[in-house]
Amino acid sequence: MPGFLFKKLHFKKILNHEQKKSAGQYSSSVSLSQNLEENLRVLREALGSSSDVIIRDMKISSDSNIDAAVVYIDGLVDRALLNHDILRPLMFNLQLIKDNLSHNHKSLIDYIKSSVLTVGQITVVQDIDRVIARVLTGHTAILAEGATRALLIDAKGWETRRIEEPKNELSIRGSKESFTETLRTNTALLRRKIRDPRLTFESLQIGERSKTDVSIAYVQGITPDNLIEEIKQRLQRIDNDIILDVSYLEQFIEDSPSSLFPTVGSSERPDVVAARILESRAAILVDGSPMALTVPFLFIEGFQNPDDYYARPFFAALVRWVRLLGYLLSIYLPGIFVSLKTFHPELFPTQLLVSVAAAREGLPLPVVLEALLMLLLFEILREAGLRMPRSLGQAVSIVGALVIGQAAVSAGLVGAPMVIVIATTAIASFLVILFAEPGALYRFIMTLAGGLLGLFGIVLVSIEMLSHLASLRSLGVAYLSPVTPLNIRGLRDTFIRAPLWAMDSRPASLDSPNTRRQSSGQMPRPPKSSSQQGDTQ
Amino acid sequence: MKGKQGFVLILLIIIPVFISGCWDSIELNKLSIISGLGWDVDADTGQVTLTFQSIIPSETKGAAGSSGDGGQKRGNPLHTIQLDSSTGSSAYDALNRYSQHSSRRTFYQHTQLYILGRSAAEQGIYPFLDSIARNPINRPNVLMVVSEKKARDILSIQDGMESIQAMGMAAEIKLSAEYSQYPVVTYLEFAQRLLSETTAPLAPMVGIIEQAGPEGDSVKKTRINGTAVFKGDKMIGQLNEDESRGLLWAINKIKKGFLVIPGANLEIVTAKSKIIPELQDEKIKITIAIDEESNLLEYDGHREISSDLLQDLEKGQAREIERQVMAAVEKSQALNADVFGFGDTVHRKYKKEWPVLKARWEDIYPYIEVVVKVKTHVNEIGEINKALMRD
Repeated sequence: MPGFLFKKLHFKKILNHEQKKSAGQYSSSVSLSQNLEENLRVLREALGSSSDVIIRDMKISSDSNIDAAVVYIDGLVDRALLNHDILRPLMFNLQLIKDNLSHNHKSLIDYIKSSVLTVGQITVVQDIDRVIARVLTGHTAILAEGATRALLIDAKGWETRRIEEPKNELSIRGSKESFTETLRTNTALLRRKIRDPRLTFESLQIGERSKTDVSIAYVQGITPDNLIEEIKQRLQRIDNDIILDVSYLEQFIEDSPSSLFPTVGSSERPDVVAARILESRAAILVDGSPMALTVPFLFIEGFQNPDDYYARPFFAALVRWVRLLGYLLSIYLPGIFVSLKTFHPELFPTQLLVSVAAAREGLPLPVVLEALLMLLLFEILREAGLRMPRSLGQAVSIVGALVIGQAAVSAGLVGAPMVIVIATTAIASFLVILFAEPGALYRFIMTLAGGLLGLFGIVLVSIEMLSHLASLRSLGVAYLSPVTPLNIRGLRDTFIRAPLWAMDSRPASLDSPNTRRQSSGQMPRPPKSSSQQGDTQ
Repeated sequence: MKGKQGFVLILLIIIPVFISGCWDSIELNKLSIISGLGWDVDADTGQVTLTFQSIIPSETKGAAGSSGDGGQKRGNPLHTIQLDSSTGSSAYDALNRYSQHSSRRTFYQHTQLYILGRSAAEQGIYPFLDSIARNPINRPNVLMVVSEKKARDILSIQDGMESIQAMGMAAEIKLSAEYSQYPVVTYLEFAQRLLSETTAPLAPMVGIIEQAGPEGDSVKKTRINGTAVFKGDKMIGQLNEDESRGLLWAINKIKKGFLVIPGANLEIVTAKSKIIPELQDEKIKITIAIDEESNLLEYDGHREISSDLLQDLEKGQAREIERQVMAAVEKSQALNADVFGFGDTVHRKYKKEWPVLKARWEDIYPYIEVVVKVKTHVNEIGEINKALMRD
């Protein structure tokens, strides 16, 4: 059914797309003219009369007879850098140099680039469109009278958030840094984790108006080339006017947009993303988003947590089982409880049935409605707790605890066992944050099915859910692998987490050209005998 | 066209949800959970009286709301169950008459006990057994007991710590298996014995005794006090305490328990038994081999513990066990009811001869020669070796 709805939506999307196309904004690419005035006029026209666009006129060269202009957007450039390393050398150092360069305008630009400016990244462009585009991303442009080329200097500098602790993916032993909104910072975080020369960041700009920088991170020779090609293709297909967050991309590139389950992974932790890149995945970073996408994304990744790898394997396995169990509980518990109460009371142990029946006496609502109401109430509380100003949080939690926990029970509106079930479910639903959304939806569906058809209904929905999960693919990789299709070696990081020294290969389902990750047999053990100690090498 | 198809699809999904209408869904507060079911038959008219003991959930602890009211009433055992009887010409007639004037649908899946009135048992309980077996809602693991008097009398007595009487009595019967005094019989076991061609079904018997209550009044209590022996579906007699124990020895149902012999009391640790039939010259001889181990709990004599004494104790035990078994054998032969399942063991061992024997089993059984061979061993003697007091 979702597929059907999506088809309808898709039709509308095509309409929008057509409309947008017709409202294209720039004329086709124009080369810079020799006339500075002319160039500046075009720039002014394109950039409009915004107050943050600064066009600084000046006279340069030894006899101050060449007109030039520096164009930048205030707030996007580092002012100190601009003043000391661009404006000062241009206006002051150039004056000092006694030579005849001024007559050769063609090489003036080259001269400025090679001998005057003391900044790192400078590019030379001929296109006025490129100038406009780059200025908008924070570059500083230098144009000179008589030159058909312009210099673009990367002197970006704006207020950014510091690297902070991860807010959503907490870890006890792992690193305490998370991505920020600045793409460069994020790539640097990754680069600091993987100092391999083959770690590559491929850049794209997506978003017709936002011109958002997007970076695909991968390690050449580990991530399969066809995967990178596929990602690039999917990204290049996007024709959107603004990319505000990495999740915008996620929705454009995912394999199964009508699925309730995400087929693209995301993380705010550089260590997680670095680990996934070395598992032969690719990461997608977007400027302005403190999250990175990782593809392909497998179902089991939702249950993996950085602490699994930092903790010792036995405890990690326990925690992973707890997560799996908790997730199943969060989906099934209300549904099964409702279906037992309405269809199969014989399945309760007698003593439990008596208690449950006692709590059920005199309640006005049917069990299904009671459960759905409580689930809805919980979703309301959760959403309110998430969105409301922090100062009001306490009020909501008090009201929520009182209303749900106590008043509803003592007023005889809701049974105490139902409160316990919903509360357990609610807590369990936070165990696996990545699948919290499909979990919440399936929870409602299961409850409804359990209330209408009993365990039969729950089995029906389970079959639907399982076959759906088995049909999903993420960038061509089966979603449920390595469980199905079964890959015995891959199981070492699913229901258990094998010791790090035992995980010698990258996940086989990801089809890496370089599957070997470490030499085998690294299990720490005492030396066989003291005389052979030196011979092990 | 496409929209129409989608519409039809949505209808196809939504409509079944409503027309399926939760046809066998029922809210818990519309159920009357039957904890115990009594069966009485009037000896003169043959009218069937069913007694339903149902749980009143709102009176048990944990009921919704109302934490303040009825604090005294709540937990008072007499309020947690409701007893109601209805009479009809047959089991289902009585049941339907009951259901008609009940505000809730009866729910049998959690029934703990079937109680058969003695006179009903003596007249034959086949109609009852049939009505239970025929309906899938009844579970085969419900315990069966025979009441000394009417079934209703037992169901109306509040005894023990449990707030729901039938559940309490069921727990008591199950726990009594630890003492291996009377057989614990479920509906399934009863029916299995009935299905066998020669074996006699059994059920523990429950009687009522009166004790002085805390305020000088007399308080009625239920006691398991015998084993009802059936022949076919009719109860024909009962075994007393000793005979019941003897029966359990023979059919390998002794788990734990206590054995009293003159001057000493022993705790049974393990017990195994085997019935070995032998057919010689058309005469059947049964050997019951019992192997028992016990710990000494109590020794009233003044002798020091020695191998002599232990041997005496072992012999005493063997004698006592043999006495109990033989008491059961004699009683069952007097009743001519094969409570031990001798017929089945003979059947298994002598398949060819069995058809002939089966036809004459009624005549053979009372005269079967039974030999009891007991091996006993005292494992532990406790913390003291010497008697605390000497002669």
